[in-house]
Amino acid sequence: MNAPAAAGVRIFGVRHLSPGGARHLLDYLDEHRPTAVLIEGPSDASGEIPHLTKGKARPPVAILAFTDQLPVRTVLWPFAVYSPEFQAMKWAKDHGAAVSFIDLPSSVTLGLQDVMNRGKAGGPAAVPETGLQDEPDSAELMDEESIYSRIARAAGEHDYDMYWERNYEHNGSTGAYQAAILAFSSQMRELGEDKELREQPSEYAYNALREAYMRRQILKAIAEGHEPDRVVVVCGAYHASALAAPLAPMNDNELAALPSRSTKLTLMPYSYYKLSTMSGYGAGNAAPHYFQMMWEAMSAGKPEELPHRYLSAVAGHVRTGGTYRSTAEVIEAVRLAESLAALHGGSAPTLRDLRDAAQTLLGHGDLAAIAEPLARVDVGTAIGYLPEGVSQTPIQDDLNRLLKQYKLEKYKTAVATDLQLDLRENRRVSSTEAAFLDLSRSVLFHRLSLLGIAFAQSRPSGQSGATWAEHWVIRWSPEIEIQVVESTLLGETVEVAAAYVLREKLQECKSIADASVLIRIACECAMTAQMEEGTRVLQNLAALSRDVAGMAAAARELSLIISFGDIRRVDTAPLIPLLEELFRRGCLFLLDASGCNDEAASAMLTAMNELNVISLEHSDNLEDGLWLQELQQLAERDDRNPRLSGYACAILLERGTISSGELAAEVSRRLSPGIPADLGAGWFEGLSMRGHYGLLSRMSLWEQLNDYINALDDEQFKRALVFLRRAFGTFSPREKTMISELLGELWGVNSEQAAEVLTGELKEEESKMLDELNDFDFGDF
Amino acid sequence: MSTGQEQLQDYMRLPAEVLYREELEALRKEDTGKIPAGWQMSPRAVLTFIAGGKAGKKVITPKYIGNTRLIEMAVATLVTDRALLLIGEPGTAKSWLSENLAAAIYGNSGLVVQGTAGTSEEHVRYSWNYAMLLANGPTPEALVKSPIMRAMEDGGIARFEEISRCASEVQDALISILSEKTISVPELGKEAGARKGFSIIATANTRDRGVNEMSAALKRRFNIIVLPAPSDIETELSIVKKRVAEIASSYELQAAVPADDALLKVVTIFRELRSGMTLDKKEKVKTPAGVISTAEAISLLTNSMALAASFGTGELTDGDLAAGLQGAIVKDDDKDKLVWREYLDNVMKKKGTEWRGLYQACKEMNE
Repeated sequence: MNAPAAAGVRIFGVRHLSPGGARHLLDYLDEHRPTAVLIEGPSDASGEIPHLTKGKARPPVAILAFTDQLPVRTVLWPFAVYSPEFQAMKWAKDHGAAVSFIDLPSSVTLGLQDVMNRGKAGGPAAVPETGLQDEPDSAELMDEESIYSRIARAAGEHDYDMYWERNYEHNGSTGAYQAAILAFSSQMRELGEDKELREQPSEYAYNALREAYMRRQILKAIAEGHEPDRVVVVCGAYHASALAAPLAPMNDNELAALPSRSTKLTLMPYSYYKLSTMSGYGAGNAAPHYFQMMWEAMSAGKPEELPHRYLSAVAGHVRTGGTYRSTAEVIEAVRLAESLAALHGGSAPTLRDLRDAAQTLLGHGDLAAIAEPLARVDVGTAIGYLPEGVSQTPIQDDLNRLLKQYKLEKYKTAVATDLQLDLRENRRVSSTEAAFLDLSRSVLFHRLSLLGIAFAQSRPSGQSGATWAEHWVIRWSPEIEIQVVESTLLGETVEVAAAYVLREKLQECKSIADASVLIRIACECAMTAQMEEGTRVLQNLAALSRDVAGMAAAARELSLIISFGDIRRVDTAPLIPLLEELFRRGCLFLLDASGCNDEAASAMLTAMNELNVISLEHSDNLEDGLWLQELQQLAERDDRNPRLSGYACAILLERGTISSGELAAEVSRRLSPGIPADLGAGWFEGLSMRGHYGLLSRMSLWEQLNDYINALDDEQFKRALVFLRRAFGTFSPREKTMISELLGELWGVNSEQAAEVLTGELKEEESKMLDELNDFDFGDF
Repeated sequence: MSTGQEQLQDYMRLPAEVLYREELEALRKEDTGKIPAGWQMSPRAVLTFIAGGKAGKKVITPKYIGNTRLIEMAVATLVTDRALLLIGEPGTAKSWLSENLAAAIYGNSGLVVQGTAGTSEEHVRYSWNYAMLLANGPTPEALVKSPIMRAMEDGGIARFEEISRCASEVQDALISILSEKTISVPELGKEAGARKGFSIIATANTRDRGVNEMSAALKRRFNIIVLPAPSDIETELSIVKKRVAEIASSYELQAAVPADDALLKVVTIFRELRSGMTLDKKEKVKTPAGVISTAEAISLLTNSMALAASFGTGELTDGDLAAGLQGAIVKDDDKDKLVWREYLDNVMKKKGTEWRGLYQACKEMNE
């Protein structure tokens, strides 16, 4: 008596996630009233079954197994309400039957996966693989796919999903369903088995191992005293024939020899969206919400009402979207769907029939018009729920506690929701906790994104510089639950894990800019200790650096934190000395770094601008005089980048340290005839980057520029054009008109004529002249 | 009307029920399905007639190539006695499909209202023989029934071509006909009720000049199916090939049917210009203002064949093709000429030696 089948065990092959299968399985269980229900699933997770079937738990939920050491591997077993496995568990609970999982334990599954991945590509698979993989991965077995489509074509259907739904889900008789699915899958197996053995020996061996282990578990159940004919095994149809075949079960030595990794199990809520996008899981999952509707219609004993419910639901969503569709159209859509089904000799419309009918009647032929309503009805936005106290990792518990504490539970939906935070103290509430609720939320979100948990995504706030306002888009998905579980290795709570990650990052940090960003993150995450550590790191890096652009960027970050840190209730005083040091070094190296080419000058321009802003914002702490002095030097020097000298001059002009007379002298010096175009015009470009109105109000400046340009020869003029064009590119159209009016005055043209010439279209000779410029050789720039 | 078979050849174009008489008869003979009231054959047989297949030993040629699902939806619509509206860009075989559906279901595709800006409500409902009306007053004999009214009385299918070209008020005359399935003739004090099997297949253009928006009330009374341009090049090639051969034989063109590579070239050019990018999706192409449909490709090829037969050797040369392409692509606009020149230089020139001859010919033609 080695084979379970010989012992007379009842084996019920199903397709995972099939409402028809679940319905028939329940009928079958009611008929045979087993004392033990054995289900294909990780045998070490049998202890989770009571949690899954607990009154408050609401599918879709999944069992997640993860390795407790790096690299983290995960494997998932999702269940929907219409999963035959889930319904079998519920039945067993309601009828007091023993229930357990009989597939390889998750530790072995992950161990074997490691072995298989190594054999395959040498690299570990990055994505968490799904459990219950019975039907071949579409990516792996392309020609298996064509078998499926050949079957569909032979049955006169357009795709395999239609074939399946029409022939199996709509099959009303339990006996016929069980026989049909068994015959179908054993034939499929015969077709594919040899090929799998040849081309994917590891996959083949894996299946063989699983089946041997399942046979072993079945015999164990019998040994525990269950009558063989009162044991029902629920497994994927693919395995049904192998479990029934007279093959030897796995023995103890064999089991001990299997590779294994230490794993932990947890339960997690799952979502229909994730269920629908999962690959390698066969059909029946593309439209979870539709199948839930089918399950509900079947449970109510009215499967014929499904088309009405489905199409009414679609019409409802279309109407919510603002497009009116009448009930008459819904009625006609139902008729069309039924007529399409009749054309295929089917008893009820399949999803494809319903979708096409919806497109014709509710979308008026246009799929785009109803794509979103269809997605909502097909896939749905449902996510599962697990009651408190159900086995979870500590960090999951911590996160759930925090979400509750900060009143964020309602955002735990699969639909993206906007949340505007106001970090300022709310003075209208009594408790401190409530007053800073938004701040606490912000800290939590920042910590989560530091951990790589994509629960809340930051959106740039509409108002620039509004540091008290934050805009987050919150969306929950099963991936996030997985990310949370993976973070459990980093720490027991969100705070500890975040601190760990930040410390790691600080240790790897190599550049000033990175360090300053990390300091900001530490501040946002309200982690003072890490902020101080970051300060040390930044100081060490800055002490050795001569990179003005980097220092300016870092100083700007710090200055922002210092200015607005109190809104986050973080003590920023320790940062001030560092800011002073960075600023001073930035000033001192300014002149040095300004001897650069035009490419590097752009970065320097940004740096100068930032340093200037900092010096204005923190004038009480910083040596403003040093900054102005360095600028003065730069403005006067002829051997630095002319653009930067010009820009320095512009800043000084704005700060009021240069008088009009000094400026005029400087302009006439810089723009005197004979100065090469790249020096003269380049300087002017730098000068014109700030304070446009200040320049526009100085008539003498334009006179000098005019004289300078007049003095240039043709070749030089063309070179100067490059700089002048760039310089005037930063002016707004209105300012440009003002310039042209100024020049018009100089040239004695009245302003209206000038405007006419400027706004009119190019004449042919003018465009020809511009075309000729294309051939000009700018090689030496 | 006193004529026999021999005169059929004299018609430029035969209606589908005559052209495919043998296929229809074979289908009717082999039909085992349930036949809806007023229909000539079962829905499945109609599907076979349009999508192709076999009836007994007789091979049924496909009439609409590409998307079988669309035909299923069209047939299923007519089974539910709903009116069918086929929408699509010019040249997506709307009228062709509607004619064949009417031929298979009703055996007569000739009850047609051809919509134009001048179509009046009388064309949709009924009018009078005014001489008789003046002589005898309103009598049933003086009534001139529209094709739609005749289809109603006979339980058949009426076709309404280019419905969107009629004025909106005229279109709306259909609303009550479609919902109440009667046309009342108050002058005679009676109503013409529709017998079972009555339906209307309308076609409409989406993207063209001179089309009127359809009212929501009217749209609601139709099941609307959008006919797409052929989804891939193989489908389009087989459509073009089949139709070119059919047309050539009915016009008795004294030219060889174009070789496969000529077909491939024309279809490639059309697809690239239509989609705005090259087939390998690597390069953007400007699209001309005119419509470049599959139907255009078919008429271009037959046109080139006529050129070759009348003024050439009977073999289709690159010059003949180039003349056809020039005419089809550069319709009225100088801009199209530039688009075509750009396409020639940027895309076709780089396509390799097989294209060299056609490129030179097109280049000369476009100068």
